[in-house]
Amino acid sequence: MSDNGSIHRLTTGSSQLDDILNGGIPENSLDIIMGAPGSGKTTLAEQLMFANTADARPMLYLTTMTEPLDKVINYLQQFRFFDLDKLGTAIHYEALGPDLAEHGVGALLPRLKDAIKTLSPKLIVIDSFKAIHDLAKSAQEMRLVLYEVAGLLAAYNVTVLLVGEYGHDDIAMYPEFAIADGIIELARNALGSHDERYLRVFKLRGSAYRQGSHAFDITPDGLKVYPRLVSPVAAASYQRSPNRIPSGVPGLDRMLAGGIPEGSATLIAGPTGSGKTTMAVQFMVEGLRQGERCLLVNFQENPTQLAHQVEQISGALDADARGRLELLYYSAVELSIDRIVVSIFEALGESPIRRIVIDAIGDLGAAASDAQRMHDYLYAMVQHFAVKGVSSVLTLETDPPIMVADIAQGRLSHMTDNIVFLDLRTRNDIVGRTIRVAKARGVAHDLQPREAQIDARGLRVIEAQG
Amino acid sequence: MTSARGCEPYDATMADRTAGKAIILVVDRDPHVRELEAHFLEKAGFTVVFAQDGIYALEHARRVVPDIVVTEILVPGLDGLALCRQLKGDPRTRAISVLVFSILSAAHRANEAGADAYLRKPLADRALVDTVQRLLAERKGAPT
Repeated sequence: MSDNGSIHRLTTGSSQLDDILNGGIPENSLDIIMGAPGSGKTTLAEQLMFANTADARPMLYLTTMTEPLDKVINYLQQFRFFDLDKLGTAIHYEALGPDLAEHGVGALLPRLKDAIKTLSPKLIVIDSFKAIHDLAKSAQEMRLVLYEVAGLLAAYNVTVLLVGEYGHDDIAMYPEFAIADGIIELARNALGSHDERYLRVFKLRGSAYRQGSHAFDITPDGLKVYPRLVSPVAAASYQRSPNRIPSGVPGLDRMLAGGIPEGSATLIAGPTGSGKTTMAVQFMVEGLRQGERCLLVNFQENPTQLAHQVEQISGALDADARGRLELLYYSAVELSIDRIVVSIFEALGESPIRRIVIDAIGDLGAAASDAQRMHDYLYAMVQHFAVKGVSSVLTLETDPPIMVADIAQGRLSHMTDNIVFLDLRTRNDIVGRTIRVAKARGVAHDLQPREAQIDARGLRVIEAQG
Repeated sequence: MTSARGCEPYDATMADRTAGKAIILVVDRDPHVRELEAHFLEKAGFTVVFAQDGIYALEHARRVVPDIVVTEILVPGLDGLALCRQLKGDPRTRAISVLVFSILSAAHRANEAGADAYLRKPLADRALVDTVQRLLAERKGAPT
């Protein structure tokens, strides 16, 4: 005799969404997928059905009074997860609309009972459940029907998805939200010149789900989800390397009394033309010289421009070094912080990258929907790098003064271990550069600003003679 | 459907017994569970009778002597575990197999009460029918 009390889960067909849901949708739960028309609710429900067809029991999709069944199935065929052989065997589509139109909401319970008795379904999707409310003669009638339906569905070993065009205000109004075990919202938010799709879990009983807004795209494979980045659990206890690594600028290494601490995060801040990208490329080229695998994430210079700059600074890289350099380029007009972060972590997961450059985080800031979100992302990202022992350089434009106020308030300084300021100064009508180490965690660094020059091989610190 | 509805007791006829159909007494207060259990068990070839409280179930079991009692723990009057103890403590009903089928995670308690099997809700038709069939097979194999 066993209790068999562990929670089994249905995959959503997206491993990222499964992660957000702590493994997937709990079996035998009743969950609501809510959102405006066109937000991706039906796609998610159908993707979930097709991802679970290996089970011996079938899935049942019931349409109600919104879209005709033929239209739903016709649109479904655009997705790669669609499998014609599953229709009528592993997946059944049925229209509840005619019964509901003829007999009212009272038709719902007998239809569901009949479906359970004849099909023994593993999953029932009702799309749109909200539309059924419009057929009830009174709120009281709908509440009674829902009570009976909830009782029936709770008695039987079936997972239920109620799909509906619910808004936030509906959560307090519609009784199905009180009985739901889980609520997932899909939404579209305007961000600059384009829309961003987000999903959010409001509730998932018995599951440590990941809170907050997670971006997603609707692709030919269904929903591609970009989970919100959170700090790694290991951040509090990881072992930091005692080693120093060369920065690619020998003078800076001397200012840091022996190089950059391995696995640390360095912010290079300065106005346009001060040499931030040049220094960042030097940091990366030095890593390639050391035999390391490096990742350069760039938002401003396209791969051709960047390759030219790398070649200028490094001289001719051999094939081995070129093979260890990975470039991620995103056009500034197409930026989405969630997608970029997922791409970075996919790259980190696929190869043993030791150095990473993000040029420039101000562009990432423009891609985030708000400043707090940007800070949360940066903090979590730097923590992930630290736990993996990856040394990172982030550049920051201070002219125009994006986030300069943040630096002054120390909001950025707590995120990175080291801060290097580059500046342009005019003396006797001659513009010169300076470099200053404002902060280097755990390092007795040089506090003085030093003169710097940029030539074909990069930035170098001009050190006092004698 | 040969069983009584509305939780009225059903006196299994001799015809059912002589036809070789096993008789299952389902004890549950939830009408949906009773209806679905009846459907799947009858579909599998059994005769199903009901009780919705423990006291009534005990009286009924003494009178009808079903092959198997499938009981929820949370039923009024006499809870499912007490019902199980009473059935197993009475020479007239000791041979009846008891399947505790409950929303409560209580396999150990069911075992202590003398139940022959335990299943956790919600109702999974295949698991219910398989367990009932296993209990019937065990009864046939048991010494008389």
